[in-house]
Amino acid sequence: MYSDLLHALPEVFGLTNFFAVIIGVVAGIVVGAMPGLSATMAISVLVPFTFGLEPLVALGLMAGIYNGAMYGGAIPAVLLRIPGTPAAVATTFDGYPMAQKGQGGFALQVAVVSSSIGGIASAFALMLLAPPLSKVTLLFGPSEVFWVAVFGLASIIFLLGGNPIKGLISACFGVFVSVIGSDPIYGNDRFTFGQLELLDGINMVILLVGLYALPPVIDLLETPLKTDGIGKSQLGTEPIWKTLPRMKHFWKTWLRSSFIGIWIGILPGAGGSMAAFMSYNEARRASKNPEAWGEGEPEGVAAAETANNADTASALIPALTLGIPGTAVAAVMLGGLLVHGLQPGPMLFRDNPDIVFGFMWQFLFGAILLVLLGGSLATNSFARLLNLPRPLLGSIIIVLMLIGVYSIHGRMFDVYMMLGFGAVGWVMDKLKFPLPPVVLGLILGGFAEENLRLALRIGRGDWMVLFSNVTSLVIVALTVAVIVGPILKKKFARPKTQDAT
Amino acid sequence: MSDRHTSRLLRPETLTAIGIIVVAAFFLLATTDLRPISALLPGAMLSGLVVLAVALLVRDQRKASDGEPPVQLSRAPMRVIGAFALIVGYALATDFIGFYPSTIAIIPLVSALFGFRNPLGLLAATVIVVGAVYLIFDFGMSQDFPAGRLWQN
Repeated sequence: MYSDLLHALPEVFGLTNFFAVIIGVVAGIVVGAMPGLSATMAISVLVPFTFGLEPLVALGLMAGIYNGAMYGGAIPAVLLRIPGTPAAVATTFDGYPMAQKGQGGFALQVAVVSSSIGGIASAFALMLLAPPLSKVTLLFGPSEVFWVAVFGLASIIFLLGGNPIKGLISACFGVFVSVIGSDPIYGNDRFTFGQLELLDGINMVILLVGLYALPPVIDLLETPLKTDGIGKSQLGTEPIWKTLPRMKHFWKTWLRSSFIGIWIGILPGAGGSMAAFMSYNEARRASKNPEAWGEGEPEGVAAAETANNADTASALIPALTLGIPGTAVAAVMLGGLLVHGLQPGPMLFRDNPDIVFGFMWQFLFGAILLVLLGGSLATNSFARLLNLPRPLLGSIIIVLMLIGVYSIHGRMFDVYMMLGFGAVGWVMDKLKFPLPPVVLGLILGGFAEENLRLALRIGRGDWMVLFSNVTSLVIVALTVAVIVGPILKKKFARPKTQDAT
Repeated sequence: MSDRHTSRLLRPETLTAIGIIVVAAFFLLATTDLRPISALLPGAMLSGLVVLAVALLVRDQRKASDGEPPVQLSRAPMRVIGAFALIVGYALATDFIGFYPSTIAIIPLVSALFGFRNPLGLLAATVIVVGAVYLIFDFGMSQDFPAGRLWQN
């Protein structure tokens, strides 16, 4: 089962593949360090540029960005108390007080070492858990695959946050966008209104760039962030290897936070921020000196950063094996796989083992490279990037968005469509409509429809074919549990709260 | 009183819900031309959107009657409108006058209008970005960019 993993290793050591991971990590740290920019946005902007690249090179860039951005978010969190990414909020609790005491450099070194350890643990979890799960899913036929897609859509319930109506609207919107174009079986046009450009459907990248890249650009231009800049006094100049002995007693925190991060990553919809918060709280509870937390305790930085990086690769376990992304970034990465003709799911492991296992290795190397590329000298340079003018950054991203979307098919129609999705995305963002269900709906909607119709053809139009085997029934039961579970939980939690009050 | 009534209907969530209902109903009409099996999924999604948007509308109006303030879309609406207008203008300019002239104009224009006005910085950034785009995409990857419809005609 794991022999394919070893076979893929030489591929990853190819010069371009390895170089892609290095560029990805550096770019990820830069993006993560910029408040307002996220890994999701960076990968969305990057995906169209990877069309002409080998799949492993493209995936290496994405894996690097994901790893790098999760650490990069710690730089402004420590130095300015502004989390660069949502997952870095918990890092501010102790990172910023450390910087105020003149230990900003050490806080960032703790962050980079912890991020790397979390990332390595997560990559190993992906390597160990994904192959056996894919073996099971290989046995699925069209009706089981249909129910897996429905299960994925139902798991949106986890992604909804506090507002199920808005989450479901987002999901319906995503599924509807997935059906625009030619009918997969009969070939007749659906909602194209005579536009030839829509016959092949709406390219996922156009939607991704519109939804995830345009709103942050508008935010960059809307609120100019004024900072006092980063001075040398906030950073340390001590080499990272000299500070390692001061971190060795964090091993329990690293271990606990890695487990929490991996577990949260596998759960659909939870994400890095929840992992970091949970891990921080658990580490504080286990500490012998909890009152020092929040005043500049390096272990607090270690707990938060380990967990938010440990959820990176593990979020890809359900994404790669079942096609169900656990987080927004994983959803965007699935989009990246799709543009290279790689359909996430069990077939990916059977048809493209070198690519999928190579991708896992790239996650591991990305995590290891974090320490080398995010060391003290580099961190000092990345911190200086916080002084870059936001309007200038915004204008450069606008140009990159246009180039990326135009280069998909070489037509301006796609650019206008991206702007339309961008406007919709901005409104959704401001009104707190969750964006991941749109992407999940777009990925799984077409997939579900195609397999449903295939199953019906096999069953000669008999709908009972969907319930004709045990596997289908098990997935149906899981789907019902996913939908009904949170409702029951809410119902039973309410009387308890009332009792407490 | 009439002011209060008008503002209730102009709440962003209410307007969004009405917009979703109108657009979904329009697409729902288009499903009547499709074969039943082709219309199944889109029809279900569009009907779902209508029902959910009605629920959103009712909930927001209830909030309004409870005196809850509407969601604020932006703290600086003029900056947002300006940013959108510039981005759309850039896309149109790229389409009509070409990629390079538009890009040379948009970088300093956006930066200067939104607060970064250092002439040397603007010049350097424009040269670096346009130069890098030319070297990487045009020269290195043979990527064609729009030359401008005006010049083609």
